[in-house]
Amino acid sequence: MGEQRAEAAGLTGAARVRPARRLPLANVRIADLTAVWAGPYATRLLADMGAEVIKVEAVNSPDLLRALHLQPPGTERPYNRSAYFNHNNRNKYGVTIDLASAEGRALFLRLVRVSDVVIENFRADVLDKLGLGYETLRAARPDVVLVSMPGHGKTGPEAGYIAYGTNVEQLAGLVSITGYEGGEPHKSGISYGDPISGTAAAGAVMAALLYRRRSGRGQFIDLAQREALTTLLGEYVVGYSMTGELPRPAGNRHPAWAPHGVFRCAGRPVAGTATSEDRWLALAVRSDAEFASLCRVIGRPELASDARYADGLSRHRHAAELDGPIAAWTAGCEPLAAAEALQAAGVPAAPVESYRDLLDGDPHLRARGFFEEVAHAEAGSWRMERPVWRFSEAPAHIRINAPSFAEHNRWAFHALLGLDDAALDALADGGVIGDLPNMAAHGQ
Amino acid sequence: MTESDERDRGEQALAGVTVLELGEFVAAPFCAKLLATYGATVLKIEPPGRGDPSREFGVFPASGPDRERSALYLYLNTGKQSVALDLDRAAGQQLVRRLAAQADILVESRPPGHLATHGLGYEALRAENPRLVYVSLSAFGQSGPRAHWQATDLTSYAAGGQMHLTGDPEREPLKPGGEQADYQLGLNGFGAALVGLWDALDTGEGQWIDVSAQEAMASTLEIALNSYAYTGRDIWATRRGNINSALLGIYPCADGYLGVHAMPRNVPPLYNVMEMPELAVDPRFNSPAARLENNDDLSATIYAWAADKQKREVYERAGSMRGPVAFVHDMADLLASPQLAARGFLREIDHPAAGPLVYPGPPFVMSETPGRIERAPLLGEHTAMVLRERLGLNDDDLRTLSGQGIV
Repeated sequence: MGEQRAEAAGLTGAARVRPARRLPLANVRIADLTAVWAGPYATRLLADMGAEVIKVEAVNSPDLLRALHLQPPGTERPYNRSAYFNHNNRNKYGVTIDLASAEGRALFLRLVRVSDVVIENFRADVLDKLGLGYETLRAARPDVVLVSMPGHGKTGPEAGYIAYGTNVEQLAGLVSITGYEGGEPHKSGISYGDPISGTAAAGAVMAALLYRRRSGRGQFIDLAQREALTTLLGEYVVGYSMTGELPRPAGNRHPAWAPHGVFRCAGRPVAGTATSEDRWLALAVRSDAEFASLCRVIGRPELASDARYADGLSRHRHAAELDGPIAAWTAGCEPLAAAEALQAAGVPAAPVESYRDLLDGDPHLRARGFFEEVAHAEAGSWRMERPVWRFSEAPAHIRINAPSFAEHNRWAFHALLGLDDAALDALADGGVIGDLPNMAAHGQ
Repeated sequence: MTESDERDRGEQALAGVTVLELGEFVAAPFCAKLLATYGATVLKIEPPGRGDPSREFGVFPASGPDRERSALYLYLNTGKQSVALDLDRAAGQQLVRRLAAQADILVESRPPGHLATHGLGYEALRAENPRLVYVSLSAFGQSGPRAHWQATDLTSYAAGGQMHLTGDPEREPLKPGGEQADYQLGLNGFGAALVGLWDALDTGEGQWIDVSAQEAMASTLEIALNSYAYTGRDIWATRRGNINSALLGIYPCADGYLGVHAMPRNVPPLYNVMEMPELAVDPRFNSPAARLENNDDLSATIYAWAADKQKREVYERAGSMRGPVAFVHDMADLLASPQLAARGFLREIDHPAAGPLVYPGPPFVMSETPGRIERAPLLGEHTAMVLRERLGLNDDDLRTLSGQGIV
């Protein structure tokens, strides 16, 4: 699809008229050994900002996300049509190297020699057992930055334990404080530890590169996914050590504000059925003034002068009694209309948006140009979320599609590493590189 | 960046970097806390007298509310300097402009446009400091029809799409514990700020960076949004509760909850952890298709197995057998975790008002520049020092500003 026309990053003012400059990380190259979600999300963020990310897969270990393609049986090369893969690996290049072979490791170390950063999210012991630990990488490239991001970190008695996405939030403490009021601890809806660790790892790469810039020295970064996620709920650790009281799930209630919750709105009929899809409104009241506004909007102004709801403390005590009157109003409303009515009165409110709402029905995201059309040589055209970090002078876009399997072998090994055709043929004959993934590795 | 800063801070990745924080509650403070953790000098501007509203939100010790003892504030503001300045007064704004002229990064989370009306918008500050990286964190971004919507963590979370996927299918969508929308926003701000700094060091010019919580969350909906965008099919039409499938869910046990997350290759080890190796040859449970067909039976089998088990015993056995079973750690479990203890992740830090408390460490450990967690500041603790040393104010100036209630 090529470079898109530069435009302002959604910012207003004079920033809009200055010419765009090169992307911030255009001078950074990353050798990327990560797979699935956490690691690839880290390198996606950096690739979005212009880093040259070279994603390394192997014939016998294609990225698992290539297997989650949801294509009907008989689809040709379905592994190049996985939306889950293609969203998380856009703006990257893709090569194959069999790291289990000595020739493959030698080839990878040639790539390391010309890379600023190596990043991996294997289990803690895997990189070392491959013979590609930090000391080996540093021998190839003395100032290399290595980021490892296993679930439990590289050290400690549990380092060898398996921890997948949903385990991470259990280990981090988040699940213990999530759940309906008075109910069981509850998982979040996604493998939440993955994008959190990925976003933290992107920051780690930058902190290390900034240090290298000043000192000339690379370093090794040990990111334990469970620890990274615990830093997103640190006040509960501090609070527990202060009071000795275990925090419990509180549903959608707030420790101080009330009302504060999610209320059922008019459903959306599902075409061709007698059923309807449930839809919801989230609202939060932070002050007496906002409460008075809420009461007016829902047609119950008398509640604002009810002694039970006179101040924040009383409203919090009687929060459950306020649920009924609010739900009675929202039940007849479209979520967006309800949110707009409350916003017009200065009350924080928003529809609970589904992914369909975000993609198809959110005028705000449309105005911000959040979804960009991509055209992939094999997978066709669809819409994809644009880079999240919007820079005024160097707005980022989706520049290249996620790589088809092994798409950039020739470019990387020939143009970048200087191997000639005979050498490439030998690597292919030896099975060190290849362009046909063994999807049986993922049960396909 | 100055050499004296670097000496003060020792060997940290961001030594010598100066950050000005104009935020409150969670998002901008978390972003700036991470910058402080890795060595930046963070000047946190707080309203005189009242301070960051997170000082009012606790939790507090049994003795009751106290602006210097809020766990939320203490955690989110480690390693910063507190400068109490009134941004609603021209003299306060002028002092912040002078501090911004010396700063590398400014992080803010005011309503879009708010700081510009106070003479502290990007264009005004850029005119005096072209290298400034100005990071704006907000619920909906700086532009678009909802930019000015009132927002809290709850409404922001609802707008981002994660909430729609969280909770039981027959109940209302559920927010996770804490302030997860704002934390995600702050974490994104941290990475974006460092990318901006890298670029500013290359080009000599900063940028205005706009991060929207809604967009950050809408980008991380696992397989839901991307597969719908591509195939048009709704594969995740509803919330999936605590059990997505028999092999991905949370099961009650005798003293807590176990978490199972098994990919196909982990299934035989899981059956071994359950001491039921025969399941691997049971035609109901020996292939992905069979397990899907008999999901409820498998789920019931795991429920029954888990019911009388001890969480840590199963977790350690599963770990040694490469079986994917963790357990739901509550705060007491975190404090007792041998893994976290061996890594020194949690640490006790003293504070003049709140005393010694346990704090999580850095989100990642850097071998050469490991990061630091130092206590949060008292309200206005560094006002005089910062205005004297950075802006050259003298005692008379400070007395005048103090008399006018500006500092």
